[in-house]
Amino acid sequence: MTKLRRAFGAPLSALIVFLAGIWILGLIAAPQIIMIEQSFWTMQRPEGAAELSVKIDALYNRLDVLALDHAAAPDEAARAAVDAERDAVQTEITALEVEESTPVKTWTLSNYGQMGKAHLAIFAKTILASLAVTAIAFVVCYPIAFAIAKLEPPRRAAMIMLALVIPYAINELLRVFAWQMILNYGGPLNAALGLVGIGPVPFLESGTGVFVAMVYAYILFMVFPLYNVLETLDTNQIEAARDLGAGTIQIHRRVVLPHARPGIAVGCIMTFMLSAGSYAVPYIMTRGTADPWFTQLVYNRFFQATNWNVGAAYALSLLVVCTGFIFLMMGLLKVRLRDIAK
Amino acid sequence: MTVSARGMEITLSAAAVRFAEFQAVHPTDLTIRAGEFFSILGPSGCGKTTILRLVSGFLEPSEGGVQIGGMPMAGISPSDRPTALIFQNLALFPLMPVWENVAFGLEMRGWSKAKRRARALELLKMVALDEQADKLPSELSGGQRQRVAIARALAVEPAVLLLDEPLSALDLKLRQHMRAELKQLQRETGITFVYITHDQGEALTMSDRVAVMNAGRLVQLGTADDLYHRPANAFVATFVGETNRLTGRIEAVDGQSARIATPEGVFVAVNTAGLSVGEQAFLFLRPERLHVLEAGETQANSLTGHLVRRDMEGAFSTLVIDTGQSQLTVHRVNGGGPVVPDGPLRLGFSQEAGVILPLSETAND
Repeated sequence: MTKLRRAFGAPLSALIVFLAGIWILGLIAAPQIIMIEQSFWTMQRPEGAAELSVKIDALYNRLDVLALDHAAAPDEAARAAVDAERDAVQTEITALEVEESTPVKTWTLSNYGQMGKAHLAIFAKTILASLAVTAIAFVVCYPIAFAIAKLEPPRRAAMIMLALVIPYAINELLRVFAWQMILNYGGPLNAALGLVGIGPVPFLESGTGVFVAMVYAYILFMVFPLYNVLETLDTNQIEAARDLGAGTIQIHRRVVLPHARPGIAVGCIMTFMLSAGSYAVPYIMTRGTADPWFTQLVYNRFFQATNWNVGAAYALSLLVVCTGFIFLMMGLLKVRLRDIAK
Repeated sequence: MTVSARGMEITLSAAAVRFAEFQAVHPTDLTIRAGEFFSILGPSGCGKTTILRLVSGFLEPSEGGVQIGGMPMAGISPSDRPTALIFQNLALFPLMPVWENVAFGLEMRGWSKAKRRARALELLKMVALDEQADKLPSELSGGQRQRVAIARALAVEPAVLLLDEPLSALDLKLRQHMRAELKQLQRETGITFVYITHDQGEALTMSDRVAVMNAGRLVQLGTADDLYHRPANAFVATFVGETNRLTGRIEAVDGQSARIATPEGVFVAVNTAGLSVGEQAFLFLRPERLHVLEAGETQANSLTGHLVRRDMEGAFSTLVIDTGQSQLTVHRVNGGGPVVPDGPLRLGFSQEAGVILPLSETAND
């Protein structure tokens, strides 16, 4: 803080601290806190609601009796007394009814226990499928990133990277819809397969489509971190390894992959998080014909079951697993946060 | 000392390298003898590293061939050649501890972990680094890293060690120390060392023989003495060591010597390049072969000038003498005579001290 003030002066450093505070609070803390808060309570009927309803029933009976008393009242004074009691009972009923029907906010962990077997299965499937997407993306991207970073002259490498980015300038929905059409039962791919006597294959309905579209949609998030980190590898290291007798596989195992660890971690974390958290891709690709993605369940909790608390609990479960994945990757690859930040 | 390799001879026969339009190395014949310390000296871009890559196998010649130990090397990959390369930036593996770096070549040859660690420690002991075996390269000093790189290269028992300016990143003191170490290592192991450098001091002090390269051509091959005292052309004369250059015209030729008329005077000097009367030529004079003449003293050649600057260099002083036509540099051993007074003086040099060479490119152009 003192350093900041010395560098920028008091007014400017106050502004910097203020903006940083807004950033941390508004962009990082607030959304999480709201979700966490939401997931830990539920609205319930108040305690003793049953006794209340018995009491209300009794009061209604009393009201009926008073109606008879009113009719049988001998004089004006007696009738006024009955009316007064009737008003009092009516007020009491109204009050009790409000008390009975107003749900009470109750703190609970039960939202997290709401996942049935079917939902748990979908949760597990989503995580496993996202892991598979991540693995495929890595297998596809590593050779590409290596080839561009180490085998191409810099000018051509820049052109290739540009070419890789261009499709991503197109709206994600549009790209996913395009894949939906390509993989459709009556789409061009099945038509082509038909020519060689295969198919038609229900790509979309079997869930394969989600897979393909996801690898396609998120592959760039794997290529870039890998390319960036491989570009920093000194080519002499590769030549030194070769000179000392290493073959291609050994060079990659002992020299290139260890160097690429931070990039691998970043690429895998991004691809996994995006896949596990993807809503549009599974929604468009399957349209309900294949098992849903977990994100669709979260959506349904919020907007179809209108149970925001359970929805929040579902969303947080996903967040916890994803965060766990980050630390797992960092542990496996022996990468520290500082390396990733680079 | 447990490195038991035997040096091998390297032969380039009309080897040339062309990158698209650029002729990096013109057809070159060169034989590097088995077990010698051989340096290739030249300015950057002269093709010396390209020759190194030809020998190590990272580059195939566009024409001609490379033989190591009498075996043609065409199509043989770097890993299968009896060579080991020490890179300019050393290219140690930063994520492996020192001993794993040294043992890398053995690991690739399938040695067991215990065996290769033992061998790595042996090699590290040889370079006095066995205490640092489990550190990372980044935890070592520049000189220590240097020695790790040497140990790593020696681990694969090469017959030829190729060194690509490995000392250029070190400071002067350490560099001089490493020169001595390298030279001793070469003697002990008997491996053929091919040392690439642009530093003529390194090449002259360490090498049995030196090849000087310029613009993709081998311009002279010889011992340090040959290069310094008997340069074959103006480039070598100016690139190797300090020199004074005068330009003139051959007036008379007598066997291996000639008389040359320059604006500074008429001098007799060595003419082994076979220049004939009437030709324009350079006369090169080493600063330490020019003497300040006492009154009445004579030498085969003399000229007059006056002292304009004196730089104290420690063991000797550099005198800058203005002849009226040019400025000459003279090295004078300190304590080797009275202090030269400012003002007019006479310089002299023997007939063997001057070298007459044809006009051509020099290292200062």
